[in-house]
Amino acid sequence: MRRLRDLFQALAQLPRLAFLAVGLFVLLGVLAPWLAPYDPNAQDLLATHADPSWQHWLGTDHLGRDTLSRLIVSARTSLVGMSLVLLIALSVGITIGTVAGYRRGWVEEVLMRIVDVGLAMPSLIVALAVIGIFGTGYWNMILALALAWWPGSARISRAVAVGVMNRPHIESLRVLGASPGRIYFHHLLPSTIGAVLVYATADAGAVALSIATLSFLGLGIQPPTPEWGQMLVDALPYLESAPWQVILPGLVLTLVVIGFNLLGESIALNRVPTPLPRRILLKRRAMAADWRKAAP
Amino acid sequence: MSTLIAIRLRNAVVLLVLATMLCFALVVSAPGNVAVLIAELRTPKASFEQIRLVEEELGLNQPLVLRYASWLNGALHGNLGVSYKTGDAIGPALASRLPITLTLVVGGAAFAMLLSFALGFLGALWPGRLGDAVSRVIALLGASMPSFFVGALLIYGLAVELGLFPTFGTAGLSSWVLPWMTIGLLPAAVLSRVVRVGLEEAMARPFALTASAKGLSRRAILFRHALPNIAPTYINALGAQGGAMVVGAVVVEPLFALKGVADLFLQGVLFRDFMVVQACLLVFLTSFILLNLMVDIGMMFTDPKLRRQGANA
Repeated sequence: MRRLRDLFQALAQLPRLAFLAVGLFVLLGVLAPWLAPYDPNAQDLLATHADPSWQHWLGTDHLGRDTLSRLIVSARTSLVGMSLVLLIALSVGITIGTVAGYRRGWVEEVLMRIVDVGLAMPSLIVALAVIGIFGTGYWNMILALALAWWPGSARISRAVAVGVMNRPHIESLRVLGASPGRIYFHHLLPSTIGAVLVYATADAGAVALSIATLSFLGLGIQPPTPEWGQMLVDALPYLESAPWQVILPGLVLTLVVIGFNLLGESIALNRVPTPLPRRILLKRRAMAADWRKAAP
Repeated sequence: MSTLIAIRLRNAVVLLVLATMLCFALVVSAPGNVAVLIAELRTPKASFEQIRLVEEELGLNQPLVLRYASWLNGALHGNLGVSYKTGDAIGPALASRLPITLTLVVGGAAFAMLLSFALGFLGALWPGRLGDAVSRVIALLGASMPSFFVGALLIYGLAVELGLFPTFGTAGLSSWVLPWMTIGLLPAAVLSRVVRVGLEEAMARPFALTASAKGLSRRAILFRHALPNIAPTYINALGAQGGAMVVGAVVVEPLFALKGVADLFLQGVLFRDFMVVQACLLVFLTSFILLNLMVDIGMMFTDPKLRRQGANA
């Protein structure tokens, strides 16, 4: 009982696990072509639904394709798609947010009302509707998801930008005669981008989930590019005979999303996990305690 | 309080108008000429005259404002146009599919509420113990697992291996259990944290200390004094999860072969049937706005602070 409790508690409060999962995901995504033991699309119709063996560590799917290779290459699909969506959504969101934060007044009012309307709608419904009008395809999916995701980053950017604009150094710059362009591009934008990028980690998991969901519905990544959601839906008709081909892609995707969610949660709680060794942490704590003592 | 409700009502109406404009704009901005598409459907290699005829028939040659007005007028009377693919009227199709989606979403919400209170109290009653950790892990899993994976696991575990429930269909209560669980797990995960954190915060407030000084047990304080305090937050979060549940329905309906509105929406998206996409989007957006209105009013009834603000306003 006690060991079980310890295990669950360790599981429940491990930001390290998050680091591990996210790090592994990024590593797999970047190195996928060199790590995958087989061509993910090479079919072997004589060895369909093979059990795990030394040749195929995780078995093969209904077309005899190596599952491990497909899982690894899917990490790349997911990583690239997610990065593109976040890149576009953050660029638009940060631009709108910082402009609203810089030029308060009616500009801010108008921009933020638009953002409110965007936020009022669930992102996947918006993305689906856009795909329904403009058709399926890789870039349509990326743009549809970016369109659904920019309002969130715009709201955060505005909040951060307003905070930055209220800091004394911006006022000093104004007094010193800095031009609006200089304040915006050299001071406001860089400090906003840094803060918003940190928040984006929390969104990354949701974006990965949406890409997989769209692919599951046949509206996202199109074959032959392997993707987790698509692997799962491909294996679904054979659920009774080959359940692992359904469970594996779902499990990997879940681990990645758990990683991003845990990371995002600890960031939201302002406990940005620092990869500092325990020894240094203790030293820092001792230093901080000394300061407290030294203060009158 | 009535002024506050009036403000909310006005905001909802403004949002509704914006939503209808959005639905209309989406179809207008569609690439390709709709009239050509329909004329080609009727007669292959349609002539210019035939295309003009279709334009006239659908009123596509009129100014945008007039087209919007006539579309809105039709929508208000339940006339949502005709599916390009099947030629059927969309309004009756939506009406016949709505009960299935409503059953799915309402049942899923009920399951989510039950599970969230169970998990939340499991954590709040014994903080730091095994139950708390289990509740956290389930919440994390529920929030991170894609719903199609949850559905597949439930089908495999409970339907295929154990044979407890049918894998699809709408016959009887047992066929609804798996869809409800699939669609309800994500909201349950999020809401259980709301319950857990809300109860913890309420227990840290002075009234909880007073109650415990009076000799009330921790359990009695939790149920009698802390629980009403989380109502506004909970209702708000429940409303937000309503949107997530419609997204869930888009996945759950095809997975369990349910022919609901979300399934119709998905078919429309797959075949680029603009009118169906537009009609379903309108239904979804309208229900979100109404749901949010209900949440706002519900919060006012459960949160005395909001009520007092209304009296001063």
